[in-house]
Amino acid sequence: MFRLFGYFFEIIRGSVITARHFIVNLFFHTLNLFGIKTKRKGAFTIQYPEQKSEIAERHRSLHRLMKRENGKPRCVACMLCQTVCPSECIYIEAAEDPDPEIQKYPSTFLIDISRCCFCGFCVEACPEDAIRMDTGEVELAQYNKDDLMLDLDFLLS
Amino acid sequence: MVEIFINDSAIKVKEGTTVLKAAEKAGIHIPHICFHDAFPPEGSCRMCLVEIEGHPCLELACSTQVREGMKVYTETENVRDARKGVLEFILAEHPMDCPICDKAGECTLQDYYEQYGLFESDFLEEKERKDKKVDIGKGLILDRERCVLCTRCVRFLRDITKTGELGVFERGVRSEIGIFGDQYIDNNYAGNLVELCPVGAITDKDFRFKTRNWFLKKGASVCPLCSRGCQIFIEYHPGFARFKVPKRVYRISSRVTSRDQSQKEKGYWICDIGRYGYSYMDKDRAENIILKQKNRPAERGEAEAFLGEKIKKLIYRNKLQRMGVVLNTWLTNEELFLARKIFTLDLELEKVFFTELDTGEKDDLLLTADRTPNKKGAEEIGFEINQIEKQKLFDETELLIVFWSSPFGLGSITELLPELSKVRTKILFTPFKRKWNDAFDLVIPTLVSAEKGGSFTNIDGKVQHFDAVLSPPGEARAEWEWLVSLGKEIEVDFNSYLGMKFPYDVYKKMKDKIEFFR
Amino acid sequence: MIEALIKFLCAIVWFLLLSLYLTWAERKESAVMQDRVGANRANFFGFRILGLFQPLADAIKMMTKEDFTPAFSKRFLHNLAPFLSFFFVAVTISTIPFGSHLMIGGKEFRLQVIDLNVGILFVLALLALSIYGVILSGWVSNNRWTLLGGLRGSAQLISYEVALGLSLIGIIMVFPSLKFSEIVGFQSELLFGWLPKWGVFLQPLGLIIFLMAAMAESERVPFDLPEGESEIVGFFTEYGGLKYGLYMFTDFMKVLIIACLLTTLFFGGYHVPWLYADGFHFPWGGDWLLPHGIVVLFQVIMFNLKVFFFCWLQILIRWTYPRFRYDQLMDFGWKFLIPLSLFNIAATAVLMSL
Repeated sequence: MFRLFGYFFEIIRGSVITARHFIVNLFFHTLNLFGIKTKRKGAFTIQYPEQKSEIAERHRSLHRLMKRENGKPRCVACMLCQTVCPSECIYIEAAEDPDPEIQKYPSTFLIDISRCCFCGFCVEACPEDAIRMDTGEVELAQYNKDDLMLDLDFLLS
Repeated sequence: MVEIFINDSAIKVKEGTTVLKAAEKAGIHIPHICFHDAFPPEGSCRMCLVEIEGHPCLELACSTQVREGMKVYTETENVRDARKGVLEFILAEHPMDCPICDKAGECTLQDYYEQYGLFESDFLEEKERKDKKVDIGKGLILDRERCVLCTRCVRFLRDITKTGELGVFERGVRSEIGIFGDQYIDNNYAGNLVELCPVGAITDKDFRFKTRNWFLKKGASVCPLCSRGCQIFIEYHPGFARFKVPKRVYRISSRVTSRDQSQKEKGYWICDIGRYGYSYMDKDRAENIILKQKNRPAERGEAEAFLGEKIKKLIYRNKLQRMGVVLNTWLTNEELFLARKIFTLDLELEKVFFTELDTGEKDDLLLTADRTPNKKGAEEIGFEINQIEKQKLFDETELLIVFWSSPFGLGSITELLPELSKVRTKILFTPFKRKWNDAFDLVIPTLVSAEKGGSFTNIDGKVQHFDAVLSPPGEARAEWEWLVSLGKEIEVDFNSYLGMKFPYDVYKKMKDKIEFFR
Repeated sequence: MIEALIKFLCAIVWFLLLSLYLTWAERKESAVMQDRVGANRANFFGFRILGLFQPLADAIKMMTKEDFTPAFSKRFLHNLAPFLSFFFVAVTISTIPFGSHLMIGGKEFRLQVIDLNVGILFVLALLALSIYGVILSGWVSNNRWTLLGGLRGSAQLISYEVALGLSLIGIIMVFPSLKFSEIVGFQSELLFGWLPKWGVFLQPLGLIIFLMAAMAESERVPFDLPEGESEIVGFFTEYGGLKYGLYMFTDFMKVLIIACLLTTLFFGGYHVPWLYADGFHFPWGGDWLLPHGIVVLFQVIMFNLKVFFFCWLQILIRWTYPRFRYDQLMDFGWKFLIPLSLFNIAATAVLMSL
């Protein structure tokens, strides 16, 4: 009997809590609706397409390839990113550069963004700081799966 | 025999052995860069320093000979400090461009730094700049910055090929490897320099920047490009399916087997013909069974039935002698044994010929004049290696079966082409897509030796077994599989072909029948 | 005849429109409870108005979806099942009184579609019949899991039907009638001279039992074992488009009808406390006389306000509590609610005879 009362008490307490939330939030919603600015908002929702949440500085977003001063890719096609990539979404083909100081540059650099898991290992592995994931670009959806294969020109721009 | 103690464990070795070899025998690796088994010790890298009891300073393991009761320590504090010091000096002038170095991943210097080094360099000076891209001939590129002056390449060209194109120029800190003027390296074993170089100083245009060596898978095989049958590794990549990159062989490297000493010394090297002649494994391969009357890729069963039916018809008409067979010495022992069993013993054909041998120039080291892998095996199995007698082959012939496996093109066999139309039914077993395939009624794709198991008998009479390394392209199956099913299909001696599921099953039969293979 | 038809049309339009906007209310209320915003995207020429177009957008979406019938199921029965549920619930509105009388040109109109003399029994019977929609859909979908869902649903509905009926016996005892109009009439009297004689004050235990059993009848969250859309396969899994929409719609209609019944039986129906046909007569003395039309308007508004409150309460409960386990559900129905309602009847009888 005692337990039963405890049970009913908690049930009622639960609905009082939700009702309190309702009434308090409704109060602030109403204030906001009539244009009264309050410190507290009725909801924590971010209205996404119009209102974007702040992306942290270290957030891992779409990749980009860095350039040298003369505009050539900084990448030397060492393929360490390809090696370390756990989802095997990077493919590189190297070619020989006439400049003996550079020697090697990527002629093909493909990232299959549909397989990428954004772990950032490629950035960590890169010995030349050639690949970074700091574009802040997170809207990557495409209508065509082939558009998710990013190539060298795209990654450099 | 002398008893010595390495890290307090006793081991008995022959007199005159060096400490490094003795330690290797005891299973202890002493790091070394300039020392190579094929050459006498040089002692230029100083990596192999060990502590020997009673000696005032550290000794070189590669050139110190053992002495009774010698006590060697390879992992003391002193030794480790010395190794670190040596590595630091070597790396002081090393460019550290591992990202663009083809050797990275199998580089001795990298491995040793990982194992014994891991220091912060004390050198603050700018590194010295040298030539990074020097053409030294035969597609080899020398990078003088990376060179650690172990002189392995110089010694190889001096002692093994005896051509001596490379040398060490200048003295002391300015010393560098180079060629004499415009006398570029030009010998058939130059490719070995790439493997021999402990760092990435000598790289190979053929492999340069194509891929990284840790992506490659290695499979042991036997080189089929001459009758020496060198032991090789085939290094390939199975392909990146998502990026539409197919399977591909990237390079061939030598494989050291230690069966007997003479073979072992030669076993470090392979010739450039074998090293760079791998493109046939990927290029122009026949993938589908083509039955001309069907005009579409046929099933395996259809091809077997077609073949069996044609032969059985001849058997019923008692006109077996109207059938001709052309074999070649690219086939393995097992396949030749099966061919002999079917064509010579079961069917008792007279018209069994061999295609012309591919020949080339012989040299003193490894390369032989006969550029097919298994002539000796064919002879031991009982074939006479007779050239095609055109008159005899095409006279009244109704069924012709040709085995063609040479990757070197058609050669003089193109002379047969105009005659082929005289024969009613022509069947071709080949791994390659060649122009003359269209002239045959049935083209059956087969495998090259890298894709099938079996054995070759080399020119010295050594039987060398190998396993399949690469996956077969398309519908292609090994010749021995086709021959086993053909043997069953003609139903002359059905039971003999039962239970032949692997090449070694055939080899076991061979061992029973032929003295040579026992 | 025409009078009845017009009244029925008014009632059913009120009923359906309110049910439609109950979906919006549920979304918004749950959102506000959970510190969210809720559906606010549907717009008409860029006007969003708190997402009020959302139910219309949903309706259009449901109507344009594929009318799907699973293989090997009877198409007619498959179509019939949602309509059965919908129909039996929709008809119950005709017995609910919205107000007392409206005098127009000396003619008297009752603000009730039809005043059956067995009103309570009629409503209970129709609610019980809507079980057929559940069990039929489960069976006709040709799917083992929907069949199990349908069986679960029918078992639950039948179990709670008993408690629902028994809880109302107390009400019938204190207000000796089965007519809704008379029950509401009884509740206009005063207790101790100042307290409205509402069912809630005479039958507090009956109210609690009725509320619980009725929530179970409406198959919503604490009692949503028949569907359990988030975990278990429910009886209308094989329904899509408009037919699925009908089931969802029926749910909201049940919420509304339960709110109506609660108002009518326990909270004085359309009665405003101390409001009589000629105006307010406060117990502490003092009158506020009002014309007839205003009084009726007050009654209708009061009725609506009470209904809205109970809808709000039900949505609050639905978004607060987790679901029962099935054995707990059955235990709760048979071992708790029914004995309690029997005790309620006995206690009421004893108290009345004192």
